[in-house]
Amino acid sequence: MGFLLKRIAQMVSVIIAATFLAFAAMNYLGDPLFNVVGFVASVDCDAVSAGEIEDVSGQGGTDVGDCEVVEAAREKYHLNDPLPVRYVRWVGDVVQGDLGVSFKNSMPVTTIIGNRLPKSIFLMVVAEIFALVIAVPAAIRAAYKANRAFDKSATVSSFGFISLPNFALGVILFYLFVVKWQIFPSRYEDDDFFTRLRSTVLPGMTLALPLAATYFRLLRTDLITTLQEDFVLMAKAKGLSDRWIMFRHVLRPSLFSLVTVFGLSTGGLIGGALVVEQIFVIPGLGRTFVEAVIRDDFPLVLGLVTIISSSFIAINFIVDIFYSVIDPRVSRET
Amino acid sequence: MKPDNRENLDLSNLENEKMDKRKIGFGFWVSIGWMVLVIMAAFLAPILPIPDPDQTGVGGRLDAPNWDNWFGTDTNGRDMFSRTIWGSRISLTVGFFAIVFGFIVGGPIGIVAGFFKGATDKLLSIIIFILFAFPGLVLALLIISLLGQTLAVVCLTVGVVGVAPIARLARAITIATAEREFVAASRILGSTNRRIMIREILPNVTIPMGALAFLGMALAIVGEGGLAFLGLSVEEGFSWGKMIVLGSASRTLQKAPWVSMFPIGIMFLTVMSLNYAGDRLRDFFDVREIGIGGG
Amino acid sequence: MSAPLVSVEDLHVSFLTEQGSVRAVDGVSFDLEPGKSIGIVGESGSGKSVTAKTLMNLLPSYAQVEGSMKFDGRDLREIAGKKEKHFWGVEMTMIFQDPMTSLNPVKRVGEQIAESLRVHMNRSRNEAMAEAGDLLEQVGIPEPAKRLRQYPHELSGGLRQRVVIAIALACGPRLLIADEPTTALDVTVQKHILDLLDDLRKERGMSMILITHDLGVVKGRTDEIMVMYGGRTMEEAPTPTLFECDGLHPYTEALNATIPRIDTPSHTRLVPIPGKPPEVIGKIIGCPFVQRCRYSTSECLTEMPPLVEQGEGHFCACHNPVGTPEGINAREANQNAGYTPAGLDMKEFEIPAVRRDTGEL
Repeated sequence: MGFLLKRIAQMVSVIIAATFLAFAAMNYLGDPLFNVVGFVASVDCDAVSAGEIEDVSGQGGTDVGDCEVVEAAREKYHLNDPLPVRYVRWVGDVVQGDLGVSFKNSMPVTTIIGNRLPKSIFLMVVAEIFALVIAVPAAIRAAYKANRAFDKSATVSSFGFISLPNFALGVILFYLFVVKWQIFPSRYEDDDFFTRLRSTVLPGMTLALPLAATYFRLLRTDLITTLQEDFVLMAKAKGLSDRWIMFRHVLRPSLFSLVTVFGLSTGGLIGGALVVEQIFVIPGLGRTFVEAVIRDDFPLVLGLVTIISSSFIAINFIVDIFYSVIDPRVSRET
Repeated sequence: MKPDNRENLDLSNLENEKMDKRKIGFGFWVSIGWMVLVIMAAFLAPILPIPDPDQTGVGGRLDAPNWDNWFGTDTNGRDMFSRTIWGSRISLTVGFFAIVFGFIVGGPIGIVAGFFKGATDKLLSIIIFILFAFPGLVLALLIISLLGQTLAVVCLTVGVVGVAPIARLARAITIATAEREFVAASRILGSTNRRIMIREILPNVTIPMGALAFLGMALAIVGEGGLAFLGLSVEEGFSWGKMIVLGSASRTLQKAPWVSMFPIGIMFLTVMSLNYAGDRLRDFFDVREIGIGGG
Repeated sequence: MSAPLVSVEDLHVSFLTEQGSVRAVDGVSFDLEPGKSIGIVGESGSGKSVTAKTLMNLLPSYAQVEGSMKFDGRDLREIAGKKEKHFWGVEMTMIFQDPMTSLNPVKRVGEQIAESLRVHMNRSRNEAMAEAGDLLEQVGIPEPAKRLRQYPHELSGGLRQRVVIAIALACGPRLLIADEPTTALDVTVQKHILDLLDDLRKERGMSMILITHDLGVVKGRTDEIMVMYGGRTMEEAPTPTLFECDGLHPYTEALNATIPRIDTPSHTRLVPIPGKPPEVIGKIIGCPFVQRCRYSTSECLTEMPPLVEQGEGHFCACHNPVGTPEGINAREANQNAGYTPAGLDMKEFEIPAVRRDTGEL
């Protein structure tokens, strides 16, 4: 249990550090008021009131009146407080489920994300399922008869898929299945589960194939390594069938790298999902994120970064815990 | 027992697999050859006898590939072959400088962390760890939203994504190297830490990291393409990624798939060459950890 | 003499590699009666483990096997061809050198014993687990109920090897092949394990093939001993006969000299065998041991000595066996020349010269 608590503490501190970094960057590098009151926010109002900068009111430039607006906005958004105070206040809001309000349309960030997130998650889950369903049986078969025809062709094609960027694969699949053969609809629909699934098959495959290729290569290598272990020879000496040995002795100890990469590749999968959503016009987080970035909608960007990074960290945390399930030796270490 | 036990769990050919690792192989040189070709074309683009990539009406609109326009033409009648060559300039630039940035920043962090261990290592490892907390593209979006969409920023952005994995790998290799005899010998001879790091550790880290530079470049080129799809790559000029985006509009795809398929094909071959060459080098130098993920 | 349980005749095993065909076993024959034990002794590369794996049908498919192997009158290669499900692991089974690696690290000890019973004996999960507990008790593991639920890494090396033995015994095999069962263990534990194997064998009337590089392990334990070198049988004899003369074959003599003994004065030097075992690629002529033998004559270089009976049940493949006039003559001739016909410096056989320099044993 001590082990678990320690890992949870570690996870929380990484989330805090990561969000603080993002929060600080947003506040220092971008002007948090830009979209609220216009470009004037960056003007040095102290200098204007001291008369060091010419008052150019009426000429579309900066004037003291603008400075008052800015000052009011600063008060309203607590921007005069020091950064750590503002961060703590922000964390307090986040914990209460308040990620602030979008600059653009004044909608709560949580509402915007809440509308879009399920579509992205569904896409990623479908992609992971496809990837595992393709990779695991293929790796088992390839390792079982290493260097035979199936193994060789699977290894070569996996190399191809690893080198095919998912946006390129997406364009190819879109061209073949939507434009040319018109097997799948070009518009995203999710009236019910079936239409949603149908709209997710192609983008899901786009994300899944390169991922499956990575999984395949790792699992195949690990399976072959495990097959050389003495306990496999022992299992054969016990007269167990190949199938029994493969599934009950070899598979589980061969899953470590796969599990690690499963966690780490979620990062790539999230990025891939953002891109693939553009190709298949899925109204998920991808579009929202890009629009937020282009319009400097800082609360929304910060909210997205927070949600996505925290989930990513949490997934890797769960993966870590999962180790002790597949390898009893891990739980002994702290 | 000869033919009968083919069904048995069989490791007959694994010896060959080990043998392969000792040879760099023909495929490696084919990959290098392709990369040289692509890089030469990119460098020589201004003096090659190809049409101006921005000149419209070189051919008709969306002409299929023909003798005058090998890769066909796009919606504005611009020559796709010429554009593919010119587009490689930005893609390759991002691939190269992103990795250079990643190595210049990540390499020393990793070496210093691995060499001094203790508190320095803890601190730097925490920084690496935090960078890892951001999925690659999210980190990239964050940076671009703050700094804008110039070529330099795109290189920097893709490079920053590479810093954490590169640093982690450099750290692992440094720790392994620092334990070897020649480092101890150098220390006994009175070398300073600085000297040991530069003279003894750096060369030993560089070789295996070099193998990963190929894989990193492949990822960087792909990363730029991803940004292009989000409309966040360079604003000026065009890259392979931007060309694929333009060609992937439904209508263009329907009438002229070659507008996107040629850049896809060339990009694929380049990325695969980099991956293959990197893979061979990694096996050749026996670098265990696959360091670069995400993105 | 009852009908043999195991009968191996003129067994040849070779592996095809890029360098050519490697002969791992080259014409080995032996019989093993029910309830008896045989020790196969040799250095690594002598072909002893390959012989065992051939019997167990554990060789990779690129191994080429010739000759006959019978178990209780049945052709083993035929059984392998028919893919009989309940033969290996039931009738005959094998344990391996390193108990650290021959147990699956992610499966509980109990499951690993019980699975054979479930697969071969059709036991339910609970029945099999109860029997597994009994087996642990038989191999001398205290608190079997607790051990069943533990993972291999929670046990000591000695306990693990006992677990491995329990697994092997699960289905009541008639033949147990033990490949270096104690090599990886502490010296203090080795004797316990060997005694346990002996007791279990006698109790169950099981036959055993004990494979080792250490003559000391089989001494006074097995009924017969077969010494192998370069894939061939060098010497074969009932155990007492062999140790009476400390070996007729120069290789046996040399192996014997590498064993530390309790009855010799302390600080008696152990004599290493110069050189290393050959890897036999292609057909070899002459005796495989000739490169390392101080009894060699020019005949040894060109002609493989046949395995001939030198005494009651005592076979030896040597032109100049130790202690015979031929042997004494050959050794003296080599001593005088300073070199053997194979070009080996006789100084190599002196008590370790290298170590005298450093003053260390």
